[in-house]
Amino acid sequence: MSSETWDGDDESAAGRFVPLYVLVNGRTAPRDSTLDLATQVVALPVDTRRLEPEYLEIVRRCSGWISVAEIGAYLRLPLAIAKVMVDVLVEQGYLAVGTPAQQKIIDKHLLDQVIAGLERL
Amino acid sequence: MDRTSVKVVVAGGFGTGKTTLVASVSEIPPLTTEEILTEASLGVDDTTGVEGKTTTTVALDFGRITISPDVVLYLFGTPGQDRFWFMWDELAQGAVGAIVLVDTRRLDSSFPAVDYFERRGIPFVTAVNRFFGECAYTEDEIRGALELDERVPLVWCDARDRESGKLALITLVRHAMARLKVRA
Repeated sequence: MSSETWDGDDESAAGRFVPLYVLVNGRTAPRDSTLDLATQVVALPVDTRRLEPEYLEIVRRCSGWISVAEIGAYLRLPLAIAKVMVDVLVEQGYLAVGTPAQQKIIDKHLLDQVIAGLERL
Repeated sequence: MDRTSVKVVVAGGFGTGKTTLVASVSEIPPLTTEEILTEASLGVDDTTGVEGKTTTTVALDFGRITISPDVVLYLFGTPGQDRFWFMWDELAQGAVGAIVLVDTRRLDSSFPAVDYFERRGIPFVTAVNRFFGECAYTEDEIRGALELDERVPLVWCDARDRESGKLALITLVRHAMARLKVRA
């Protein structure tokens, strides 16, 4: 398999039944290591006509902010695949990324907000 | 335009009510996502008897709570089988902390979870699920059996009850915050 990353220019009329590992070009880890399964993404207003159907489906799911885990659950994609595909879409400017759920963001202000939010439930 | 995710892990032994707790506080019915594992990511012993099997699927249940227009809290239940530690690492990475559910009929089934978060210094609270009926133990007895540090909060809960789940979550976030202050 080619080690090149997909550049969005693949116009060949590939069949619909593409194995998932082909779709992600054999990548097994996202380039952006801060992408967490709880990280939320949202579709950017760009032309999606060149996207392969599997990628287009993800972008369509992202009309509002949604996490990588939710994308995986709704589209029945294994998490690792969902993560890499989302990463490809981010890299190519189809999706914007929110602040990932990573260590550094846990500050007092955020936790205050979380407690207030939970108390309102 | 920004959107922040906050993670909380719901752990505990098999059948302690993790998905029930997630369901009781989540604003959506719990979702399931799957991760495909290859042999390499599993412990050496785990594939005994299933030679030739190269992948296995592990399911994760999760829910969400919208905290504010910018912040969403995600609650992830750990996989039912304790052996998928590498998934635990992914779930715990960057999490505010964990709720460890305890079933008093099988205290020992929650011990690996307690041990896991303790070793990694991840804030956690223990929630004793009373769903199973009258508890035969006192708080001290449970703490002793689980070798809980006195600073680890213990709450009594009913995983089916939303208020109970809320209380466990609030206790956890307060605990995580208190620890931030100590470190600062």
